[in-house]
Amino acid sequence: MTKAEMDRGLVELNSEECKGCGLCVEACPPHVLRLSESLNRYGVHPVSYDGAGCTGCGICFFVCPEPGAITVLRAAALKPEDSAVEAAA
Amino acid sequence: MERVVAKQLIKGNEAIVKAAILAGCRAFYGYPITPASEIAEAAALYLPQVGGTFLQAESEVAAINMVYGAAAAGVRAMTASSGPGLSLMQEGISYLAGAELPCVIADIMRGGPGLGNIAPEQGDYHQMVHGGGHGNYRTLVLAPSSVQEMFDLTWLAFRLADDYRNPVVVLADGYIGQMMEPVEFPNQVVQPPRKPWAVEGTAATRRNLITSIYLEPDALEEHIRHLEAKYRRAEQHEARAELWRTEDADVVLVGYGIVGRILKAVVEQARAEGLAWGLLRPITLYPFPVAPLLQLSQQARAFFVVELSTGQLLDDVRLTLQGRTPIEFYGRAGGNVPTAEEVFEFVREHAPRFAPVALPEGRVALV
Repeated sequence: MTKAEMDRGLVELNSEECKGCGLCVEACPPHVLRLSESLNRYGVHPVSYDGAGCTGCGICFFVCPEPGAITVLRAAALKPEDSAVEAAA
Repeated sequence: MERVVAKQLIKGNEAIVKAAILAGCRAFYGYPITPASEIAEAAALYLPQVGGTFLQAESEVAAINMVYGAAAAGVRAMTASSGPGLSLMQEGISYLAGAELPCVIADIMRGGPGLGNIAPEQGDYHQMVHGGGHGNYRTLVLAPSSVQEMFDLTWLAFRLADDYRNPVVVLADGYIGQMMEPVEFPNQVVQPPRKPWAVEGTAATRRNLITSIYLEPDALEEHIRHLEAKYRRAEQHEARAELWRTEDADVVLVGYGIVGRILKAVVEQARAEGLAWGLLRPITLYPFPVAPLLQLSQQARAFFVVELSTGQLLDDVRLTLQGRTPIEFYGRAGGNVPTAEEVFEFVREHAPRFAPVALPEGRVALV
């Protein structure tokens, strides 16, 4: 995968904390979140991520009412010293 | 309250915690529940930073009794929950009121009854405003309609709680709890005054007694009369409401919390079409803003009560107006929030039914 194709972010979902309110689905600018067909152990349809297209904006994290249900990771540009380590590896 | 220029963009739930800390609250006991969980989350983060205590109790019953303990020790204390959690706390709230202990309780209302859902509703009105617990008591209830008011009214709640030695409820809904808005903070931290009645575990406070048990009927009635006098005093001094474009209004919309904001948009649209509508938004639900409502009943041909429940605020409006002016009602429930357009259409359709009463010349309507 080239650098241009890499997603700028990654959303990690804890589906057991999700109550299926759908606020993140509605708020997600690239529309890459949706409610899953399956149920979690509380019997709600938790949010799921398409697996690609996250921009790392974090809006889903801010609108989510469940502490700990959504974590957003943002891609950071590698520093020159990191590239050196990568090249050596 | 003096304000600094600095603003923060925060969630309503977070604003409650920041207001509590700046108002001198140093103890939070609670149990997480959607849509109030961020209050516990923020309390867990911020209270230890100011030397306060955050404790996640094993249940809401435990949490409210921990609040009782902290309040009895003279500490400004609070808890927060949502409908089902508040139902569990009602016994403790009755004990707090009976023992005249100040505390602040935030209720971020969600859909009910039962487990309901986690979408915004206003169905806790009866249980919080009319006292869901046993006995002759009232709680003072404040109803914010913005994140800034989440801050301001929580701040005020701690002062009222101490002034009246009574639990004060901040009654908001999932909508205001979840939304983010800029909030201005005061540039001062309250140092709560020492409470001479508190039990601090010292020789000086050894003889102070905090209790709600009065086995002698005469003694209990005297205590209840004392509480009653306190509530009458609150009714005289603490009722608050926002009146908006009511100067010449012949139709007055009544709604609190998030509904108050929807109704502003409705009134704006009506005014743009040349209709003389106005808004009365109760800021305190107990004491209920009786005076402005009665005042407006002299000019309005109808009141339209709008709420996210099936006619709870409506009861208090009816009790206040006692048939003086016709009332029409529009309620949504289950987590559905009406659009301004929807409310506007409803009022426009029904308002013509309430024609102004034509009086014979020289006669004045008795109110």
